[in-house]
Amino acid sequence: MKKNLFTLLSALAIVSLALAACATPAPVAPTAMPAKAFRIGLVTDVGKVDDKSFNQSAWEGAQCGAKETGGTTKYIETTDPKDYDKNIAQFGDEGYDVIVTVGFALGEATIKNAAKYTKAKFIGVDQFQEKPTAGVGGLIFPEDQAGFQAGVVAAMMSKTGQIGAVLGTDVVPPVYRFGEGYRAGAVWAKKDTKVNIIYHNDVGFDKTFTDPEWGKTTALSMMDKGADVIFGAGGKTGNGALLGVAQSKKGFAIGVDTDQYLTVPEAKEVLLTSAMKLIVPGTCDLIKAVKAGSFKDGNVVGKVGLAPFHDTESKVTAETKAKLDEAQKGLAAGTLKTNVAPVKPAK
Amino acid sequence: MAAQTSTAGDRLRSILRVADLGRFGMIILLIIVLMGVVALVGAKENRVEVILASFLATLFSVATPLTLGALSGIYCERAGVVNIAIEGMMLGSAFFGFIASIYLKQAGLSDQMSLWLGVAAAILTGALFALLHAVLSITFKVDQIISGTVINILAIGITGYLNRQLFFQGNVPHAPGVLPVIHIPFLADLPVFGKIFQQQPVAVAAVLLVAITHFVLFYTPWGLHTRAVGEHPKAADTVGINVYFVRYANVLIGGMIAGLGGAYFTLESVPSFEPLMTNGRGFISLAAMIFGNWSPFGAWAATLLFGAAQAMQINLQYYSTSIPEGLDFLKKSQIVGMIPYILTMFALTGIVGRTTPPVADGQPYEK
Repeated sequence: MKKNLFTLLSALAIVSLALAACATPAPVAPTAMPAKAFRIGLVTDVGKVDDKSFNQSAWEGAQCGAKETGGTTKYIETTDPKDYDKNIAQFGDEGYDVIVTVGFALGEATIKNAAKYTKAKFIGVDQFQEKPTAGVGGLIFPEDQAGFQAGVVAAMMSKTGQIGAVLGTDVVPPVYRFGEGYRAGAVWAKKDTKVNIIYHNDVGFDKTFTDPEWGKTTALSMMDKGADVIFGAGGKTGNGALLGVAQSKKGFAIGVDTDQYLTVPEAKEVLLTSAMKLIVPGTCDLIKAVKAGSFKDGNVVGKVGLAPFHDTESKVTAETKAKLDEAQKGLAAGTLKTNVAPVKPAK
Repeated sequence: MAAQTSTAGDRLRSILRVADLGRFGMIILLIIVLMGVVALVGAKENRVEVILASFLATLFSVATPLTLGALSGIYCERAGVVNIAIEGMMLGSAFFGFIASIYLKQAGLSDQMSLWLGVAAAILTGALFALLHAVLSITFKVDQIISGTVINILAIGITGYLNRQLFFQGNVPHAPGVLPVIHIPFLADLPVFGKIFQQQPVAVAAVLLVAITHFVLFYTPWGLHTRAVGEHPKAADTVGINVYFVRYANVLIGGMIAGLGGAYFTLESVPSFEPLMTNGRGFISLAAMIFGNWSPFGAWAATLLFGAAQAMQINLQYYSTSIPEGLDFLKKSQIVGMIPYILTMFALTGIVGRTTPPVADGQPYEK
């Protein structure tokens, strides 16, 4: 009896561990690997490569890069911030030519590994390089400008003069820039706009971008108090905010990173636009640069933009479009400044 | 006359003791304090009733899965079976309920129908996990903590693995949305506070289940048997109560309630599943159960306190520009996040008094 029980329990434990193991990194081989091919490895931030957001864009960029250069690509999904280093090293050990690390949080681990694997070139998406490191290119974006444009649209479309943003954590500079850019844009478009920004700062890095339920609850709380346009920026947490607006069936939502009309179809009816970082072409171009030998260390500034209005096109007023146009021209020409600090200033 | 008064007093005291109404009241008082702080800070920007209504709406949605988790724990532990697998049960149910709703919709059922059957699937999933827990811990007398841990790991593994297998390619079938709002007559039509009563079915069920559980535990023979088995199984056995049966049944009931809690995440809150999306709420439920001294109303109040904590944090960030000078620490969301827990600790150690678990909690019964 005792023995049976022990066997049963061990079997269960082993099965669970095996399943858990399958669920974590396990790189997927999309194509058979020819010898000496140009190889691109990608390490995600905590989250999945199909997160309909940040990681996915970088992965599409890597796939684009592989296609353009005739190389192959693989990814490792990070499930725990403790594994950043290990996951990057896995590609390093296998002698990959390009290693793309996705997200601000991987910055330190990327620089550390660049010193170790000198043959590989590292592309750090969203990793601002304070000083150039040999072999590391930081792909950064002027998120404040994307947020600014989103803020202009939000302020112009708000009937109550009150708009909100549900964001991940402001410890991550791009998130901070999105949020403050949004605030600046709204106030620039209409001076009296009341902007409320709520960050999911009360949890760790591993949870702040993957808590859709919190995002929804927070968005609803804002709408209860009169906000009628909500900017959701923070992975799945932000997606939750978009879903919350969709469920309340009043007001509008603005997405982030990619065109979320395509990635969160449930929010189609209320989604005005998305503040996009053009990560796919940015990553793809850098990979091509490595292949062509024109890769440089230091920062590379990618492009940002707003997604099309799609279903809400008819509801967007001419004034809104005119104001947005003015903002876009000003930002492009450099005559209009967002005045957002690159990182949250320490007090 | 004097004798009568004393009987009435005794009865009152015994009701208070059983239902732990004192504890309930104390916790509700704490919640009111938190609400008061938010209302004071926000009064410059919004009308007070709007703030309170919004606060309560957030509070109830955050508390719903916690309440169900805590009730699940109460059924199990009152019968003497420790259940730390609530987290895993909720996660598994959230996943399988979601999957069921998606595929039922794809099979041609209406959105509503697929959602309701999804809830049924979630409850069934909870029951299956509970059955595993029962077999391991009651029949095979495995250490209940270990059995619970195994289930938690199992749930993470299964959901993570299947989620990847089914949804990786990106051609995910459309989810049927979320459960509809139930319009509670009269209450939902109230001017500002009406919105608190416009709740979705799982949230309503959670509140009803608190009352039902209280009634079942303290006013029915089944409840008496359950408590007897949890306090002194040998004595229960000698008077003819089937200890194994009572334990099995209660663990299964607990599992089904945890399953309903899982349904909250993917069928009522947001129409999507995330690996690990229960995010430790199963464990918070256990804390609430202990804080509530294993009584339904006490535990419910504790979950409301956790809900209030979350609501306070969201609201203080919302009103951060109105926070008066000198109270700058209220602008730091990390610190605000801690306040309710600190209050809880004070309450737990000082005001509310000791909690006493069922005597035979966690002990396998050998005939």
